[in-house]
Amino acid sequence: MKFNLVLLFSALAIVAAEALAAPSAQELLAQSDAVRNPGKPFSLTTSLVEYRNSKQVDSNTLTVYSKADTKSGQFRSLIRFVAPARDANKLMLKNGNDLWFFDPSSKASIRLSPQQRLLGQAANGDVVTVNLALDYKAELAGEEDVLDGDRQKRHAYKLALAASTPDVTYHHIEMWLDSSNSRPVKARFFTESGQLLKTAYYRRYQSQLGVERPTETVIIDGLDPNWVTVMRFGDYAFRDVPEVWLQRDYLPRFKPE
Amino acid sequence: MGLRKRGLPAFAGRIWVPVAATLLISIATPIVQAAESDDDDAALSLADKTEDKAEKSADWHVYVEGALRESSRQGAGLALHGQRLSLDARYDATIAPSLRAVFADRIDMFRSDASVPGASGNQSVSTLKEAYLSWQAAPDRIADLGRINVRNGVGVGYNPTDFFRAGAVRSVVSLDPSSLRENRLGSAMLRGQALWEGGSVTGIFSPKLASQPSGAPFSPDWGATNNRDRWQMALGQKVTENLSPQWLLSGGAGLPTQLGFNLSALVNDATVVYVEWSGGRSPSLLTQAAVNPFTLPAALRRGDDSAFRSRLASGLTYTTTSNITFTAEYEYNGAGLAQSDWNALARSPLAYAAYRAYAATLQDPPTRQALFLYALWQDVGIRHLDLTAFMRYDVEDHSRLQWLEARYHWPKVDLALQAQLNSGTPFSNYGALPERRAWQTVLRYYF
Repeated sequence: MKFNLVLLFSALAIVAAEALAAPSAQELLAQSDAVRNPGKPFSLTTSLVEYRNSKQVDSNTLTVYSKADTKSGQFRSLIRFVAPARDANKLMLKNGNDLWFFDPSSKASIRLSPQQRLLGQAANGDVVTVNLALDYKAELAGEEDVLDGDRQKRHAYKLALAASTPDVTYHHIEMWLDSSNSRPVKARFFTESGQLLKTAYYRRYQSQLGVERPTETVIIDGLDPNWVTVMRFGDYAFRDVPEVWLQRDYLPRFKPE
Repeated sequence: MGLRKRGLPAFAGRIWVPVAATLLISIATPIVQAAESDDDDAALSLADKTEDKAEKSADWHVYVEGALRESSRQGAGLALHGQRLSLDARYDATIAPSLRAVFADRIDMFRSDASVPGASGNQSVSTLKEAYLSWQAAPDRIADLGRINVRNGVGVGYNPTDFFRAGAVRSVVSLDPSSLRENRLGSAMLRGQALWEGGSVTGIFSPKLASQPSGAPFSPDWGATNNRDRWQMALGQKVTENLSPQWLLSGGAGLPTQLGFNLSALVNDATVVYVEWSGGRSPSLLTQAAVNPFTLPAALRRGDDSAFRSRLASGLTYTTTSNITFTAEYEYNGAGLAQSDWNALARSPLAYAAYRAYAATLQDPPTRQALFLYALWQDVGIRHLDLTAFMRYDVEDHSRLQWLEARYHWPKVDLALQAQLNSGTPFSNYGALPERRAWQTVLRYYF
């Protein structure tokens, strides 16, 4: 009996130690955020190619300048449109729900509502430069083998993310992280009613700013799976993004070298 | 394809429903997963085939635009035909460390068998929109010198705080408010701006350079925008997470000092409300117009009628889940004519014409109150096809201006069809416009 108790306590101690050593679901999510997003202010170029029924229907190129807010930790971004020509040099400032659009031709700085999609697929940026760990509570929903973006079987943690703040776009998210390095493999984004909004595959991992990061995200619409957006990221660079840039009054001034 | 697309079959018996549903789900789940896997596989294959295409930003942005226009006069009359060819160029480059050069010009060449708005017969008009140098002494200290298009205001249809709009439009190619804002002269000025986290202060001095506007086709037309010394101060400050009001003070030689205020706020995920106000002691627009008193009806001969007068544009913009944006705006011009005076002025055509011409130059409504409704529907069923419609309704005389545009865009080309209908009694705000109906086809090519 005594031996059994010792054995039982030893076993419990080992389990507890393992539990302490293993990262929590929230920590795993934070690690995967760090894989996607550099830890210092940065800029990158994003190209978006949009397909409907296997045919390319649109393409855009944007340059994104991002900096995390020291208080909330969430990214604030200045998005500059590079192509197509009709949208060149138009700007968007995104600071949470504070959204501004600036057109250099008319000099108009217009406040947008989050629902207003003035220039197409830029809204898909929210699956990319966002620190999910700040707005979602993660739980480990299991471990499983999933097909990654290269159709290779990958052992992954499946995380169930539930929104912890009201102002987020997605009510809950399923996310698969590579169990060996916390790299995001795939995610599914849902509405409150459980409607799938989009599926994202994170792939083409390359070393960018000192970390292996996904340089391509493939987004599949939840309602229409034939609506596919391919986002590619390049020209990663750490760069100073002064606080004065991240306000409406600076938009007419923004001219990065 | 997902289960939701197939739908559940309808079973009559209440007992059968849960049983059938359970069976269906158990059968359907692997099918759904397989279908989703197929969809994902197809999407990833598309991504595999996507070519890397690196687009770089350019300093020059140029487009040419051709337009065919047909219009009919108020009342009975022959249709009028016109053509326009426009070249619009904008250069914006960093030419030395901390030094930016901006140049923007537009040339409109009109050909018509009679007259088109903004031009008559065959003529060319150059609009030198901007030409200035900007020196960024520090990230938060900037000075500019040259012709700059300074545009204030959160209003969509009317901008009372857009103090530099007077005399700025040389060539009207469309009555769409965004076109009127874009295709106009800047003012020559020296501007300084200091910024800090969440706010900025701007000071402007715009000197007198000429006395009279010029009708010469390629004139920079300093007399249209810089015919008196003017100044402006603007202060913007973020006061809460989502509120960044702006206060303005503007004046000049012979111009009464005016105060201005702009504020917009997010009500919910789909709605933005805004208010734009300016006010100050000033004579009425009719007095400012300096209409020959002998042409005025006796009831309108008032001498100096200076008083505190406000101008206002306030409204909301709502966007549906299908990305249709509606704007409704109330517009008030405290210096414009109220209904009875407006009706009285109509009895004197000479004074009426002079007053309207003055108000048009100032880009100020001639009457006291108006409503502006605007809708934009992007990707109307067909990808890249956008519909824009707006209506201006004059509350004083019930006249209307209605405008509709369908625009399809390819990567480098836009094709737009525009229709305009002006309705109202003969001396009403919109009923008095020379044209009753106008149609325009516009083809634009971006280089």
